[in-house]
Amino acid sequence: MPASPGVDSGNELRILGFLCNWCSYGGADSAGVARLEQPTDLRIIRTPCTGRIDPLFIVRALINGADGVLVSGCHPGDCHYVEGNFHARRRLETLKRILPVTGINPDRFMYTWVSASESGRWQEVVREFTARIHTLGPAPRMSDTLTETLAAEGLPMQATNGVK
Amino acid sequence: MDTIFIQRTDIGRWLDRLAEERTVFAPTRRDGAVVYRPYRTGFVLELDAMPTTSPKEIVFPQNETLLTYSRAGNASGGAPKVEARETLPEQKAVIFGARPCGVNGLGVFDQVFDNDKTRDAYYTARRKDTRIITFACDRPRSTCFCTNVGGGPGDAAGSDVMLYPLGDGFVAEAVTTGGKAMLSLATGAPAGDREVAAKALVETAREAMPEPLELARIRENFDKCFNDMEFWEEQSGKCLSCGACAYLCPSCHCFNITDEGTESEGKRLRSWDNCMSYTFTAEASGHNPRAAKAMRLRNRVGHKFVYFPETHEGEVACRGCGRCIVSCPSSVDIRQIAKAIQEYCDDDK
Amino acid sequence: MKQSIREALPGLDLVLGWEQGWDALHATPLFIRKAEDVDRLILGPTCVQSLAVQLPSLKGKKVGIVVKGCDSRAVVQLLRERLLDRAEIILFGFGCDGVVSLKRLTKVLGDLDSVTSVKKTDDRLVVESPDGRREAAFDDVCAPKCLDCAWPNAVESDHFAGPRLEPRPPAESKTALERFEEKSLDERFAFWKREMERCIRCYACRNACPMCVCRDKCLAVSRNSKFVSQEANPSESFMFQLIHVMHLAGRCVSCGECERACPMDIPLGLLRAQSTAVTEELFHEQAGTDPEAPLPLLTFKTDEETIEERD
Repeated sequence: MPASPGVDSGNELRILGFLCNWCSYGGADSAGVARLEQPTDLRIIRTPCTGRIDPLFIVRALINGADGVLVSGCHPGDCHYVEGNFHARRRLETLKRILPVTGINPDRFMYTWVSASESGRWQEVVREFTARIHTLGPAPRMSDTLTETLAAEGLPMQATNGVK
Repeated sequence: MDTIFIQRTDIGRWLDRLAEERTVFAPTRRDGAVVYRPYRTGFVLELDAMPTTSPKEIVFPQNETLLTYSRAGNASGGAPKVEARETLPEQKAVIFGARPCGVNGLGVFDQVFDNDKTRDAYYTARRKDTRIITFACDRPRSTCFCTNVGGGPGDAAGSDVMLYPLGDGFVAEAVTTGGKAMLSLATGAPAGDREVAAKALVETAREAMPEPLELARIRENFDKCFNDMEFWEEQSGKCLSCGACAYLCPSCHCFNITDEGTESEGKRLRSWDNCMSYTFTAEASGHNPRAAKAMRLRNRVGHKFVYFPETHEGEVACRGCGRCIVSCPSSVDIRQIAKAIQEYCDDDK
Repeated sequence: MKQSIREALPGLDLVLGWEQGWDALHATPLFIRKAEDVDRLILGPTCVQSLAVQLPSLKGKKVGIVVKGCDSRAVVQLLRERLLDRAEIILFGFGCDGVVSLKRLTKVLGDLDSVTSVKKTDDRLVVESPDGRREAAFDDVCAPKCLDCAWPNAVESDHFAGPRLEPRPPAESKTALERFEEKSLDERFAFWKREMERCIRCYACRNACPMCVCRDKCLAVSRNSKFVSQEANPSESFMFQLIHVMHLAGRCVSCGECERACPMDIPLGLLRAQSTAVTEELFHEQAGTDPEAPLPLLTFKTDEETIEERD
């Protein structure tokens, strides 16, 4: 395996992971315990269930400059709360298909299912998703310093705040 | 020579020269909206349409950073180190293409933010070196009513230079010494007879303006109708309680202050707020003294025509530009509400 | 229409309709409370506002409402979400052959002021003002939603006035969304950055939306949780738009009120069109057409035929 991109290489990107407590967080934990090597770009947020994940969490992360967002939960049918991930599936798929109109690359968002026992699959998911995000590179930003962004595009500036 | 004639085609060159020293905010079109943006070479000017937004944003931007802060933990375990830095703006600007109503709106801002009791450092920092080049109006729109509220299509108060449209150019007149200096950078010919012709156009415009409102009666009747919620529900029924009217208004100046950022760093921001919004008066207890939109619209109209005049020698805060009418998604017409108050009769109640 | 309103009025608290605003080009919502108010009612190409936006705040009153096809879909969707009580609403439906978009009209005919008359004759719109008589092809100046309107008649009504109209066939020319999709992702992103730059965060789009029912409790103004800051910059304004889009997913009735209400002329309809297309493709249904259907995002299937499994 090629050297994983990440903290040591100095080109780490910002990938956010929303993991359900019962399956994928456990899977990620197992992968760690088993010393399965993974890239370090992913920052994990543990949620009770994928059904708890408001699609707007993902939107907010992407607009705030996350280069990628990964959501992972229990396999359909295995939800700890019986149907949380069924609801999540519809919401996440809706978001994924809406993203193209925003200009945010839908490939920067992925959702999948990893159970607590699938440490190998977790390693694979993280490696593949991280590699995909590195291929896409850093995400364009909606605005860091607006004046500069618009100036670079040759567009008139917003009424500036006058503050550097 | 204080009065010259500038061809439309020479305006750009004039602004180029002005922009060497100052940020020139000039009207430009963004699809159906006309907004003021910093002028630069290649900029497409919109010289005819009344701008959708008002010039207030140049001296009172939608967001003003008041200070920035940072907070760092103390490794030795003492109190964290907190730093706050004031961010006073610096601005040397020209507002190009304001209309008399918009300039009059800044008069309200001056009275609120720069008076003997209150001197807002951020506002005055932007305002003190902002000069204004105004277009007199030769064709009032059917939503214009500046003459009703103490203004006029050729009102030069507050402006540094007045531009009177005439054919393929403008008769330009310096009003202040600063205006004279700016005008000296323009390419123009002596105005001659054109001055009279251009001013006559504006005078015709003034005569075409609608019947005046009876402002004193509105003030008098407002007290009578204040608690008549049926009246206010009728006036506000179609209002959507959005903030378009307030944000486009040249004199609406209410604001909110919030801290934006994280625990470790961020900024204190002053942002436009509007009394049509529920959160404007929502209290921390959960109580809201203006819970219904009828009360909120009453406040907006009341502030313009009654509360502001009460503390400012009868001066109405509405400048009659008509932006709130034109841009209202429900076509709420503030003139009609003012008229309904004027004609309000509580005898049969 | 006026006749049936007059007859029903004694049993109602009020009827929502339209009257002429400050000129003939601008209709404005009319609250009919007395018989004589009925005379002010107008129906025609200027009656753009969706009056359904008023209904949730009038709950508890017996309300009549005049509806175009698109407006009736908002009422049906609100009924479907149990946000209205059918027994409190009387629908006065009619067949609508399109309404004017002031923004498109101004682009074609230029600045129009003090308009004295607006008439639709066959496929032309004729506008008269002191500047003279101007006319345009109706399809060039109508609201974009009218070009391929599948629901010209009120979906549900208690009274129906005039003839029922044929739905318009799908437009031959590309829709705004199809044209937008020709841009690359980066171009779309840059486009929104530029469009959002002039947003003044007045929330007219939200407040004009008949399906935006949180009203005073909108997530966008909540400080806890705080999804959006007060900064009126492109990222915060865009974040708000996406809150609106996500909260409307599967619920948007494509009335176009968000885009129409925007004083800054930001093409918000593109975002909603995408959301509608996506939910229709995923769940094979259209919002606001069946008051009894379950809401697609509040239900699920254990095997989703339209969603590729991700095992």
